Amino acid sequence: MYFKKNLNKSFNILLLKILIIFVFILVSFFIIIPLLPLFLKSFSDNKNNFIGLENFTNYIQNPSLTQSFINSLKVALTTTFFSVLIGFIYAYALTRTRLPFKKFFNTFSLFSLYIPPLAVAIGLIYIFGKQGLITQGFFGTIPGFDINLYGFNGIIIGEIFYCFPQALIILVSALNLSDQRLYEAAESLKASPLRKFLTITLPNIKYGLMNSFFICFILSFTDFGVPKVVGGNFNVLATDIYKQVVGQQNFAMGATISIYLLVPSILAFLIDKNFQKNEASLISGKSIPFKPRKNLIVDSIMFIFCSLILILVIGVFSSIVLASLIKIWPYDISLSLQNFRFSNVAGNGYEPYFNTVFMSIYTAIFGTIFVFFTAYLVEKFKPLKKIRMLIYFFSTLPIAIPGLVLGLSYILFFNKPSFSVPFLDFQIFNPFSLLYGTMGILVLANIIHFFTVCFISATTTLKQIDKEFEEVSESLKVPFYKTFLRITIPLSLPTILEIGSYYFVNSMITVSAIIFLYPAKIPVSSVSIVNMDDAGDTASAAAMSTLIVLTSLFVRLIYEFTSRNVSKKSSVWINPLET
Amino acid sequence: MIKKEGSFKYLEIKNISKNFGETFVLKNIHLDVFKGEFLCLLGPSGCGKTTLLRIISGLERQTNGDIVQDGLLISNSPTEKRDFGIVFQSYALFPNLNAKQNIAYGLENKKINKKEIEKRTNNLIRLVGLEKNSDQFPSQLSGGQQQRVALARAMALSPGLLLLDEPLSALDAQVRSKLRNEIKLIQKKLNLTTIMVTHDQTEALSMADRVVVMERGHIAQIGTPFELYENPITPFVADFIGKMNLLKGKYDKKNCVFYYLNNRFLISQNKEYSFLENCLLGIRPEDIEIIKFRKNIEKEENILRVKIKEITYLGTIFRLTVVLESKLEENIFVDVISNQVISNNLKIGDFIDIKLKKEKIKLFESNL
Repeated sequence: MYFKKNLNKSFNILLLKILIIFVFILVSFFIIIPLLPLFLKSFSDNKNNFIGLENFTNYIQNPSLTQSFINSLKVALTTTFFSVLIGFIYAYALTRTRLPFKKFFNTFSLFSLYIPPLAVAIGLIYIFGKQGLITQGFFGTIPGFDINLYGFNGIIIGEIFYCFPQALIILVSALNLSDQRLYEAAESLKASPLRKFLTITLPNIKYGLMNSFFICFILSFTDFGVPKVVGGNFNVLATDIYKQVVGQQNFAMGATISIYLLVPSILAFLIDKNFQKNEASLISGKSIPFKPRKNLIVDSIMFIFCSLILILVIGVFSSIVLASLIKIWPYDISLSLQNFRFSNVAGNGYEPYFNTVFMSIYTAIFGTIFVFFTAYLVEKFKPLKKIRMLIYFFSTLPIAIPGLVLGLSYILFFNKPSFSVPFLDFQIFNPFSLLYGTMGILVLANIIHFFTVCFISATTTLKQIDKEFEEVSESLKVPFYKTFLRITIPLSLPTILEIGSYYFVNSMITVSAIIFLYPAKIPVSSVSIVNMDDAGDTASAAAMSTLIVLTSLFVRLIYEFTSRNVSKKSSVWINPLET
Repeated sequence: MIKKEGSFKYLEIKNISKNFGETFVLKNIHLDVFKGEFLCLLGPSGCGKTTLLRIISGLERQTNGDIVQDGLLISNSPTEKRDFGIVFQSYALFPNLNAKQNIAYGLENKKINKKEIEKRTNNLIRLVGLEKNSDQFPSQLSGGQQQRVALARAMALSPGLLLLDEPLSALDAQVRSKLRNEIKLIQKKLNLTTIMVTHDQTEALSMADRVVVMERGHIAQIGTPFELYENPITPFVADFIGKMNLLKGKYDKKNCVFYYLNNRFLISQNKEYSFLENCLLGIRPEDIEIIKFRKNIEKEENILRVKIKEITYLGTIFRLTVVLESKLEENIFVDVISNQVISNNLKIGDFIDIKLKKEKIKLFESNL
């Protein structure tokens, strides 16, 4: 009836579907499937015989191992409580008071993000350890004070250092979303400050509060660096896994403990996810941001509080730098660069450092491309809805997978040259096994380990970009990839840079995900810190930590500089009619 | 029907339905659009007008039904294969491209040489009158200018069909009426078949050749603005296009009399109504006259004695809200020219007599 013309086939939609399926396969193979061998391993002995729940019952019957589980919970709960409390007060000071020198406090509060937890622990040793500055009263000049660093106390202090900035970031952004009008309305109704806090402030940040609880819990429950260095005889799950795998080559028990580590994390993750589902923004686009009023008492208390926190952060960092520069602490306190030679550490010299820098660069480049592209496909298109939802779910999962568990599951998955198909005498080649023993697997582990935060920030940015851009392009017959390159990427550039720098810094400081994975021929610096510390060469460990922190800070500076230029260039698009 | 000589069905919408799960958004829509016609889809929010536009563009897929454009069946064609340009309510201008680059965006993807692109872009810029602003970014342009860029961009590939989704609703009143005329002029000049979605009846009446009034997923009435205003076929259309008083009563078909409470109204015998005795009487506020207060009103036809409840000044006219003493909760609106109110010194609380013009009275089936 109507003359025929091939109007129904679209190359672009086909291409899009192929890309979505391709990304789905990648995230499945990088996030979900590697966990399967880990689960299988936990039900097997070390000769790969299936033994059911025997590992788990062995674990429960071993009092020293169950004690670790209790210890880990104790550490996590205590750390979470204090990190969120401190983070909240600090965030409140930054957003809701007239704190003097706010910019300074804002910038330096996040300083400890650039210090690896391992290095924090080393810094703590130089302050509170047996020969520490405070313990010995600044080399004997004043009476000393011993806080019993090694054990629970040390772990808690270290973990708070590590977790507090994470809580701070979440809470600052939650508290920043405020509406002056609500407070004015409450005031006109004669509400007391406490009532305003309980009825306006708290309900507005409950999702952020919950999210920061969850992040701090997972981070401190699964952290390996701090307990490794200052844990002493106080065992936690993370150090147990390390001992089982590295010390005793007992992969089956390592896998079993991993499950004990993974389950509470996933549980916390699901609780949080379920809670966040109900989030609806109470603050509309028309909100007027809250403007704090001067209050001498509150402002001064906040100033003292924030100063104390900063002094501690800067103190820990300075003691790391100081320790790396002092010849033989505390006997010969003359300054020297000899600790930076790394000559006595298995002769690796600077190799681990440069390996780490390259690993971080690769992670930043490939990770940013992969994460942004994944978020783009999930967020911007209509086909294959179910698959896109699965990709989204998988992408949010890594935050609940502890680094050690990820590392262990990667070994078990990637070292297999082929998979055997159950019940059939059939082997499938495992292409991913080619990565095993290369830098590639380290980069991949880092990309996945830090995937969630990057994915969420990419998704958030893409959500803010008008969905109708894609529709306009379709109507103008411009294929989606051209619009992606010409519109989406330039508009997302600030976020892309942010993701890149996040990946770089975290790859520089991470240890847990790669400690099982790094090939002997590719030593990395965070692992060499562990080894130097194990060997009692704490000064060299401090020197390596200093290098890592300085490199991260340097990259962050480059980022700040570039992003300022980018935002200057793009301000003409963003500020509507302000000039 | 305003239909140009030689014009043909350019777009045929055949039995289109759309449901999201259980809920129907569109139900069995039939609609023909003629070449060069300016058609408005008018209705309150949630009536399905935007969904219909998106189905025509392929951005949304219908559950059932077919679409034929220029003789081609395009029901299942992807958006990129369809021949249309679209302007969104938000304009969706690319913020990092200036006005000219936005307009040229679709052209640059075609295999046309640069000179030709430049020439066509400049023509479009001139067409929408943005010669002075072509280097500016969207954030530097006013709302009306952004609107023009969006319009020029949509027309860049010389589409056979232009789709406008509430294109003027983000603008202030003055700019809006100016742009209404401009869009209409450009549309006529290019003889471009255009479908516009709007919830603003003034906009629809002033721009469209034909208006499609939509109500809860179906078409209530199609007609020229004049037809819709003069001969609405449902109370919904009557009250949505302009204002209509609707009085519920009984119709005596034999005698052509309508009973409302204890008042009787004579109905013009020219019109034939086929429905049952329970129905609605419709009369527009401007079709009610104020007559001087008389002692014996029983003998006069179609007169009601009412009390003034409210007087609203609307410029050239006053709108009176009046009520019957026996039914205080039912408002009747009467439009009178300002002079009449002033010269008769009408006040709230006054009793007046109003006359419903017999030939202007319409009856509607009552589904209440």
